[in-house]
Amino acid sequence: MDYLATKYLRPRKIPSTACSGCGLGQAHKKVVKAIDELGLGIGDVIWGTGIGCAGRQTFNTWKGDNFAGTHGRAYAIATGLRMALAPDKKIIMTVGDGDAFGIGFLHLLNCARRNVGMTVIVLDNLGYQSTGGQYGWTTPRGYRTDSSPYGMREPNWTQEGRDVLNILREAGATFLARYTSLQGQEAVEAIKKAIMNNGFSLVHMPYPCVTNFAERALGTRKPVEIYKWFGEHTCSMHEKGPDDFAFRTGIYHDASNSRPEFSEYMKTWVAEIQRRYS
Amino acid sequence: MAKRTEVLVSGFGGQGVVRIGQTLSTAAVYQGLNTTMLVSHGTETRGGYVRTQVVMASESIDSPVVENPDYFIALSKAAYNRFISLVKEGTVIYDPAYVEPDESLPIKQVPLAARDTAVKELGRELYANAVVLGAMARMMAGLVDKENILKAMLERIPRFHEENKRAFELGYALMPKE
Amino acid sequence: MRRTLDTGNAAITEGAIIAGCRLFAGYPITPATEIAENMSRRLPQVGGYYVQAEDEMTALHICIGGSLGGLKTMTATSGPGFILYADPMGWALGSEIPLVVVNAQRVGPVSGITGAPGQGEFYMSRYPTQGGNYETIVLAPNSVQEAFSITVEAFYLAERFRMPVIILADQLVTDGWESLSIPETPEEVEAMGLKVIPRRINEGPEFYPATDEIDIPPVVLGHNTDAACSDWTPTPEGYDTEEVDFQHKHAYRLIYKVRNHKDLITRYESYFVDDNPDLILVAYGSPSRVVISAVKQAREKGLKVGALRLISLWPFPDEIFKVPAKYLSVELNYDGQLVREVQRAMPKGSEVHFFGKCGELPTVAELEEMMQALLAGKEIKARNWEWEAW
Repeated sequence: MDYLATKYLRPRKIPSTACSGCGLGQAHKKVVKAIDELGLGIGDVIWGTGIGCAGRQTFNTWKGDNFAGTHGRAYAIATGLRMALAPDKKIIMTVGDGDAFGIGFLHLLNCARRNVGMTVIVLDNLGYQSTGGQYGWTTPRGYRTDSSPYGMREPNWTQEGRDVLNILREAGATFLARYTSLQGQEAVEAIKKAIMNNGFSLVHMPYPCVTNFAERALGTRKPVEIYKWFGEHTCSMHEKGPDDFAFRTGIYHDASNSRPEFSEYMKTWVAEIQRRYS
Repeated sequence: MAKRTEVLVSGFGGQGVVRIGQTLSTAAVYQGLNTTMLVSHGTETRGGYVRTQVVMASESIDSPVVENPDYFIALSKAAYNRFISLVKEGTVIYDPAYVEPDESLPIKQVPLAARDTAVKELGRELYANAVVLGAMARMMAGLVDKENILKAMLERIPRFHEENKRAFELGYALMPKE
Repeated sequence: MRRTLDTGNAAITEGAIIAGCRLFAGYPITPATEIAENMSRRLPQVGGYYVQAEDEMTALHICIGGSLGGLKTMTATSGPGFILYADPMGWALGSEIPLVVVNAQRVGPVSGITGAPGQGEFYMSRYPTQGGNYETIVLAPNSVQEAFSITVEAFYLAERFRMPVIILADQLVTDGWESLSIPETPEEVEAMGLKVIPRRINEGPEFYPATDEIDIPPVVLGHNTDAACSDWTPTPEGYDTEEVDFQHKHAYRLIYKVRNHKDLITRYESYFVDDNPDLILVAYGSPSRVVISAVKQAREKGLKVGALRLISLWPFPDEIFKVPAKYLSVELNYDGQLVREVQRAMPKGSEVHFFGKCGELPTVAELEEMMQALLAGKEIKARNWEWEAW
């Protein structure tokens, strides 16, 4: 990260205060690497964050402009911001699974429907880890957390035929992908495509939480165990994967630049009305 | 004009109660007066009433509430019964097609056959509110010019201008000058 | 100058346009729907954007985002939507986002009656979000013309104090029709005593200085200022911090930028209070119209009564309650809200009374009866709803 950190990130926030062994740094680095490989500068990106590990650890790490929304609301703020920003500015957001798929899901769906130009990277640690480890909307069925001491029984957004990415596709998102933080350049390439889509893009990126998820679900805080577990449960989106649970990865939906971006068509349309009435 | 003139219009939905109020209030603006108009709906079920309270004055208006109407235009029995007690020195203008006035009251009550005139002369009850406005133009002469009420009415009514103008003139002719 | 007959909703729309509002996000709700409708028609004509949000919470967040991007923004609602602002309102207050929020109060609680006026969010407009450690600016028009001018003023104060300004209207002001003069040139705007200031951009690096100063430009993203703003307690540079020292400084700023410049905010009207009246009626919004009529008429009849009409509600103008007297707060609610502040602010030797009514205005006749009773030293009951009779 050193070269990238020096170039793009604020020294005051790097290294972060994340737990030792946390996968968030890997994921964060992939986003910055994608930005770098696209040749974007500090002034080209507005970085948004939500609440939770992902939000708190990445907020104001970007050397340029930063904003953090209250829990789940960064997408709604980004919608208004998009209307006001110059079209060449990219909004990139690093948010958590609870933020995006729980408390902020309504806003996320409406951003997808409107095709608001933003790239949402959901850094998914499989539950509410910053509050100590409660189950969330991507926690695998049956796994133990502090609020599911007998195993997570609630239907989630990622198993039994449901996939949150399918819901977002139906809602109108124009780029959707899933890669874990353990995966390599293919994940970076997907993030690059997401950023280059002039519309609503989302990359779902599960990453290992050693301190809370691994400790409750796997019974150990040895990083090697959760990393191994991640590897065993990762497969391609075309594969079935292990019986109990799988991170099915790949580019789910690439309809990049197939629909007008919200703020752009609003601007075009407003200019037309203005012309008519002037 | 008098310091403050209050007009209360009430009837049931669809009779143009709001339009009559809006027209008179708009005419007051054309006349260079200050004006307020409140619209309220009684229980919005059958048997309820619609009410507009119009105030006009040459000076600024404090309370927009009509408590002592100079003119009470009663277009339904329910409206008449509900608000007649407010009239002390003002004039009641009622449509006999709907309202049977309480003759025992010591107030001036003027019948205005708005519905029947509209139906007989123009074939549609729709024009009754234009008849009322014409009558009011006669009643309120000296307060608001007839031309201003007519102009306001045509501005508030999108269609059938010729018929509405005729209805307005019929109403004007029906009413003795105050 | 254009003179028309129009509603408070239309007046607020035109005020916002003149003040430079170019993004409105809203959600339909009676009796503020017409503001959204008018905005959807008017904004595109002047190059602005109307966004219909999925709920009121989103609407205010979109306004925050727009303001963060440099646009002047506004949203409008009634009580049932106002409660959904709690989340973004905290963000806007804490991160000092200039924007304008309109609440056309209707009868409650909850959905209540859609088309009837109420005054139930007097305190909620003081505490529209959690956490404390802030002041709000709340303005209350009582006429269509004032709804226009207060909207222009709200945008002006929002920019100067860099914070959300709440217009606490009521259904009779927003839905009521009245003669309205709208200026058509900047000179006419100025002649009406109204000021418009453009959005300025904070260049940093101190975005949240620990000072009570106003006129500090707000954070605007997208202009290479390396700005940072969040829901967290900020350092002056906008970093999130857990240090209480910074929290103290942030709270000081949010509270004292308003308190120490209260004179720029406080507005009221007084009637017949210079000869030590025995009774002073207090009101804001549409009931104040009837109060003023009632007091003028009572004076003609020789009753020694006066009136205070509040235009700015928060910060509460304690200092205008100078005369020891009987005070009567006239409100569109039955629980009595404004009356509690009157009780707190009134000078020694005063006593406080309350007259509440919901869904429609009191009448001059009712108020006169009330004044006569109070002046005669009688106890008054809350009229109209004497529980015993039920």
